[in-house]
Amino acid sequence: MSAHKLQATDVTFGYDPKVPVVKGVSVHVDAGEVVFLLGHNGSGKTSLLTCLNGVQRASAGRITIDGRDVYTMTPAERAQRIGMIPQTHVAVFGYDVIDVVLMGRAPHLSTFSAPTREDRAIAVESLDRVGLADFQRRRYTQLSGGERQLVMVARGLTQRCDVLLMDEPDAHLDPRNQFRVLEVVSDLARDHGLSFVVSSHAPNSALMFADRVLLLRRGHTLALGTVEETLTEPLLTEAYSMPTEVVSKVVNGRRAPRAILPRRIDRVPEGVATLALEPDALERPDSALARMVEASRSRPQRVLITGNSGSGKSRWCERLVALAHRREWRVAGVLSPPAMRDGRKIAIDLLDLATDERRRLAELRRGPSDEGPATERWRFDEDTLTWGDEALRRAAATAADLVVVDELGPLEFQRGIGLVAGLELVDALTSGVACVVVRPSLLETALKRWPDALVIDVED
Amino acid sequence: MPALTDDAAPGAASVSHGRSDEPGAAWRDALVVVGLASPFVLGVVALTLGFYQIGVLDVMRSLLSPLVPEAAAEVPEIARRLVLDVRLPRVLAALLIGAGLAVTGVVFQGIFTNPLVDSGLLGVTAGAGFGAALVMLIGGGSVMIQVAAFAFGLLAVTLAFLGSRLYRTAPTIVLTLMGILIGSFFASLTSLLKYLADPLDTLPAITFWLLGGLTGVSWRSVPLLLVLTVIGSAFFLLVRWRLNVLSMGDAEATALGMNPQRIKVMLIVAATLVTAVAVSVGGVIGWVGLVIPHAARMLVGPDHLRLVPMSLALGASFLLTIDTVSRSLLPSEVPLGVLTGLIGVPLLIALLRRQGTGW
Repeated sequence: MSAHKLQATDVTFGYDPKVPVVKGVSVHVDAGEVVFLLGHNGSGKTSLLTCLNGVQRASAGRITIDGRDVYTMTPAERAQRIGMIPQTHVAVFGYDVIDVVLMGRAPHLSTFSAPTREDRAIAVESLDRVGLADFQRRRYTQLSGGERQLVMVARGLTQRCDVLLMDEPDAHLDPRNQFRVLEVVSDLARDHGLSFVVSSHAPNSALMFADRVLLLRRGHTLALGTVEETLTEPLLTEAYSMPTEVVSKVVNGRRAPRAILPRRIDRVPEGVATLALEPDALERPDSALARMVEASRSRPQRVLITGNSGSGKSRWCERLVALAHRREWRVAGVLSPPAMRDGRKIAIDLLDLATDERRRLAELRRGPSDEGPATERWRFDEDTLTWGDEALRRAAATAADLVVVDELGPLEFQRGIGLVAGLELVDALTSGVACVVVRPSLLETALKRWPDALVIDVED
Repeated sequence: MPALTDDAAPGAASVSHGRSDEPGAAWRDALVVVGLASPFVLGVVALTLGFYQIGVLDVMRSLLSPLVPEAAAEVPEIARRLVLDVRLPRVLAALLIGAGLAVTGVVFQGIFTNPLVDSGLLGVTAGAGFGAALVMLIGGGSVMIQVAAFAFGLLAVTLAFLGSRLYRTAPTIVLTLMGILIGSFFASLTSLLKYLADPLDTLPAITFWLLGGLTGVSWRSVPLLLVLTVIGSAFFLLVRWRLNVLSMGDAEATALGMNPQRIKVMLIVAATLVTAVAVSVGGVIGWVGLVIPHAARMLVGPDHLRLVPMSLALGASFLLTIDTVSRSLLPSEVPLGVLTGLIGVPLLIALLRRQGTGW
């Protein structure tokens, strides 16, 4: 079999077999490696951990340690190889720290025996290794969260196993203690060849301490690989359904990611120069808009229309289209006017500007959805998306004076589905003006793609 | 006792919020040894006390007489008979019941990870009370009462256990709930029997039995009590270190390579047998299983290696002391269940105050 220390292959598991929470996940850990499991609440991190140490039995797939199937081992045999370090918790009884650490000898002792002098020596040595040598006679219940977590690590070391699973070791800890615990983990991996699988809600911890990362989303593997491969803006944005920014820094001549931050959706990024222009500016020959249209006769002009949600980006485009029609320009592309009820946007339609045909594009999402085109708020109609994509493909083939693409969002930029023909159209624009509606959180992504674009910020 | 290391004095200088006054391991071991000696010393003292005072030497000679008949040559026959036939079975019963109730309290608190339960949790006491009341109502003798109390105690726990199997999730919570339900059910049945009982004759008998007491104890009551309590306690002593691991909860015990469900069932069966036999002999004696484990924890800490033997010893000494005071010092004998409550509750409150945080 494999040479991996711990290997999980196509593991599927659900507390109710009909509702799997881990779906066909594969991951391996080598000696001396720290692998982080990241994902939203309920993504299956903890369930996967409990499968890995054999406490829960996977309904499909295989888990091996040193090539041996964990489910063919006795619980004690498993516990001699794989240790589980639970989330910080307060024990009911105030055991001395040394007594808690000693519990790690349980898999090595028969039911009727108590720890010997050698067992105690192992426990003392383990406490020393996590830097808590003086803590033997302290009460476990009176320790700080970080110290309790380190005591649990020491208990894992006392088990003498070479794979340790940690369930959110950084939860409930202040930044210093998070760092302290993970620093110990990192040292143990590097200096003693121990393997760690760490579930966490802190991608920044993974950035600092992970050798590899498994990103889970709704029980599926979203990505598995090195920090550079997995902790990217598109993947993190999808993993947490939250616009995410990865701040990087040049270290030793290489650009390395240093921090992961949530990105405010409704804010134009700092450093992006925007113009506040009304479509009517087209009527004034000296306005930027009019000059741009003039320039578009000789070379293509790209415009990004952005603004907070509800600021009227679609309405802005509609007014521009109306002006263009009055001037008898050739107009192509798609608009996505909202369908309103009681002053609230309840759905989005899609309008083909070439034919004036209109279809329902998206409705408010109800409940979670696994697959298919959906964002945090909207569930899209796949047929309409295909129809709109076709309309944009036709628009690209016509030499229009004005092309409107309303809008390109996370589906297109991050997942490569939806109105991708819109992306290609703007990429390959040879003449005329292309107006693309983009939300502020995607503005930087769009500007990376089309650095020459003019940005118009539609204010409320 | 397993080998224990000689730990250095606790409380290193860098410790900011540790308990520097906490007794060290050697001190706790010494306390366990003293504790284990106490039931024997108190047992001899208890044998001297009563309306007929007997000297310590005469008590010792009487105790030896079954083995060495000439030892009691100078002891008055009445004193020898009092010690061997009247006081000794009662002293033994008090020691065994006290030890049994205390140690099963420790076991239940450990496996249910809850410091506020005792072995009556699963309905054994309520079931036994009903069994005893039933036999009294239909006019059975004292042996029948014991047998019925024992049998219905076991029946109640069995019902709670079977009931908990109806649900597959959260077995511990469901088992606790079932225990409370079955216990309440049997308590209601007992109330029904009391309602039906003759208010001049049977009702007082049932009421007094339920209050607990060792007045009617004779040698006939002792053998089963002795055998079950000794075997049960031996089992608890053997697996006591595992109770540490079990008290961290099922998930951790499993991760540490144990099968918590299996060992818990074994412990519950053993604790139920010990409790049932104690209740069948002594009636309903409350608070021992709650107060003594806490007192023992205060003295030697929560580590079950020391806690289990200490609770056995303290429970035995506690109940013996109360029973002896009740029968020899008070003007009229007060039921044990009343005294354990009157002494146990203030004691527990005082312990909780001392304890501060953590158990």
